[in-house]
Amino acid sequence: MKLTIDEVAECLDVPSSTVERWIRQGRIPVSKSSGACFFQKSILYVWAKKHNLPFTLPEEKITQIDEKKSDSLCNVMSFGGVYHNIRGNNVDEVLASSVKNIAFLDEDGQQMLLTKLLEREEMASTGIGKGIAIPHPRMPMDETMEEPVITTCFLEHPVDFNAVDGLAVFVLFILLSPSVKIHLYLLSKLAFCARDASFVEFLKQGPDEKALLERVERLEKSL
Amino acid sequence: MKPWRYPARWALFKMDDRLLLMFIGAIVGTCSGIAALALNHSLHFLLEALSHWRQHWWAFVLPAAGAALSSLFLEKIVKEGAGHGVPEVIYSVSRYGGLIRLRSAFSRLISSCLTIGSGGSAGPEAPVVMSGSAIGSNIARFFSLNDRQRVTLVGCGAAGAISSIFNAPISGIVFTIEVILGEWTALNIIPIAIAAVAGTEISRALQGDQIVFSPQVFDIGMGDIFASIGLAVFTAIASIALTHGLRSMHQISGKVKAPLWIRAGIGGSCVGIIGLFLPVVLGEGYHFVHTMIEGNFTPGLAFVAVACMAKILATSLTLGWGGSGGIFAPCLVIGSLTGLTYHRMLSAIWPSVNWVNEGCYALLGMAGLISGMLQAPLTGIFLIVEITGGYAVILPLIIVSAISATLCHYIEPSSFYLKELVDRGHLLRPGTDARVLSDLSIKELLETDCVCVNQNMPIREFIKIVENSRRNYFPVEDDATGEFVGMLHLDDIRPYLFNRMLYDAVLVGQIMNPNVETVLPDDDLTEILHKMDSQRLFSIPVVVNNRFVGMISKATLLDKYRKELMVQTTS
Repeated sequence: MKLTIDEVAECLDVPSSTVERWIRQGRIPVSKSSGACFFQKSILYVWAKKHNLPFTLPEEKITQIDEKKSDSLCNVMSFGGVYHNIRGNNVDEVLASSVKNIAFLDEDGQQMLLTKLLEREEMASTGIGKGIAIPHPRMPMDETMEEPVITTCFLEHPVDFNAVDGLAVFVLFILLSPSVKIHLYLLSKLAFCARDASFVEFLKQGPDEKALLERVERLEKSL
Repeated sequence: MKPWRYPARWALFKMDDRLLLMFIGAIVGTCSGIAALALNHSLHFLLEALSHWRQHWWAFVLPAAGAALSSLFLEKIVKEGAGHGVPEVIYSVSRYGGLIRLRSAFSRLISSCLTIGSGGSAGPEAPVVMSGSAIGSNIARFFSLNDRQRVTLVGCGAAGAISSIFNAPISGIVFTIEVILGEWTALNIIPIAIAAVAGTEISRALQGDQIVFSPQVFDIGMGDIFASIGLAVFTAIASIALTHGLRSMHQISGKVKAPLWIRAGIGGSCVGIIGLFLPVVLGEGYHFVHTMIEGNFTPGLAFVAVACMAKILATSLTLGWGGSGGIFAPCLVIGSLTGLTYHRMLSAIWPSVNWVNEGCYALLGMAGLISGMLQAPLTGIFLIVEITGGYAVILPLIIVSAISATLCHYIEPSSFYLKELVDRGHLLRPGTDARVLSDLSIKELLETDCVCVNQNMPIREFIKIVENSRRNYFPVEDDATGEFVGMLHLDDIRPYLFNRMLYDAVLVGQIMNPNVETVLPDDDLTEILHKMDSQRLFSIPVVVNNRFVGMISKATLLDKYRKELMVQTTS
């Protein structure tokens, strides 16, 4: 496999000018054909190993970075679905009836998730204020889960959630993610939306799925 | 494109570039060997041609004319500085990957031939080293080889030249490794050894396998071994005297307001006048070394001691005032005179002790002076063993060389060849800090991921920029002109960060640091680091024409420095 100067610079994490100087000084094994320099990957790999230099191909790097930008908030919310008139008079009841709407989990899974959510609520309330709560398990879900999911649940009656500002919660965004990184990424996006006062007013009207997702998409673009 | 110009692409050499270096090394060794022989023969020719004029009283103008002509030649025709050339070779090896001009391949040969042939007190060895190195460098350039290969070939040239002129291959290798390259790796030793062999072979083929000084049999006793310690002290003193003599003469001649060639002429005529009374000081002086080693040098203690000092003076006059030539041969003459002086003193003080033949002391003195002047003990030892063909003297030889080099190092921390380079900070031996720093350029270290901000920006806007940035430093620019006005560190906004009232009241320009140290992209990295260290800075902005171009930080520097060091040292 042939590599160019720029690719090798990328692999070794040095500027191209350094690679060019190494070629000039004869420190790096290079092949020349018709005036252009190229490198044999296998030879270079041995060379890097001999000198203890880190050597990673650019493709490997790209996959690592890609993980973060998995999905937009709008997509994740449409996976989870939007549900209205969730019954319940306290945190336990509300969560119990919300969990039943999460379609991709079987009954055992729903029960386990409920326990995890309640554990998290015991540590500290997930009510972030303005009547919004973001229930989520303390640890990311197990490896079987590949895509993050947000299930939106509008409550029948506002419920006291021990939120930071003491306001009763009227909407839950149940946030399930495969890794902490994605979790934090989605959390910050949700929090950004919740800061927008007009969005909160809009939520209070209990919009249907289509209207909600459109609104979220617009907000996301302004981010 | 001619394929023979690119031997690196031949099938044979594609397998392993070491084969290529060995092949070209042999060519370089042969060429520089021929150059060395050419100088040697033209010197002999010139000496003989001028010999019948030396009897006249006006013979002192001969060295003057020779030195003046050689200075004129160097200055006007080839436009090169005076001196013997070895520091130039070392400098080009350490700084420019061994690039040497083609004209250097013959310029020093001609100029030193004029100086020495006319009677100036200097040696032909350094000029042939210079020309051998230049041949190696230019052959490497002709075949478009890279820096590392070129440096090795420069070494090959030097080794071939020394090997050829002394008929001494090991001295050639050791001198190159110890003095010219300063690096002993498996990669460069083989081609250099091959070049040394080639140089020696060409010398043997063209002028016969003759040892420079005829071998003698010495019977060395225990007393002589101890006496050699005392001799080492004397040779060290002589080396220091010669070093200082050369330097002070150079300074004195620098104060004379006259063209270079007139200065060289003045020095040459002084040498000529000394030579009228003491002909031993003239020329390279190998003839006298011969007689001394053979024990046929008759004059007494006083004469020898005076001759020794006169030779030091004459060498200082020749080289310090602008003549062209090396110090190798004068070192050998002064060394043998020192050895002789010491032997005569010993015999005068303890006449009953049965000292070894005085020729042996002349040998030891030569080794002591070479080791002391070059601070290269191995070169001293191997050179003397090879040019005298006597392995028997090796024990006292090692003692004299080691002690002399140590004493000289104590008084003069850097050798005669390296003194100038060390003073200017130009000596960059492979694998050293200075070497790594000089190879890294600012361009390679520059971090350009800093976000520039305007000086009239309120903090509110700035905090938004902070949210999406990855760095702690923010260069501040003038919004109208784009000129760099100062730096803002994340710490600077901490007091205002949680006071929303001030978000629109305070501007970036008010909290930034306007008096920042900046550097230019062409600045020397050593100086930049010195600046950062003295001010306890962790990073420093690079500014060109009042425009911010990037940051240099110690974190990136460490990363790049370490990679560079790993690439340079492990081979």
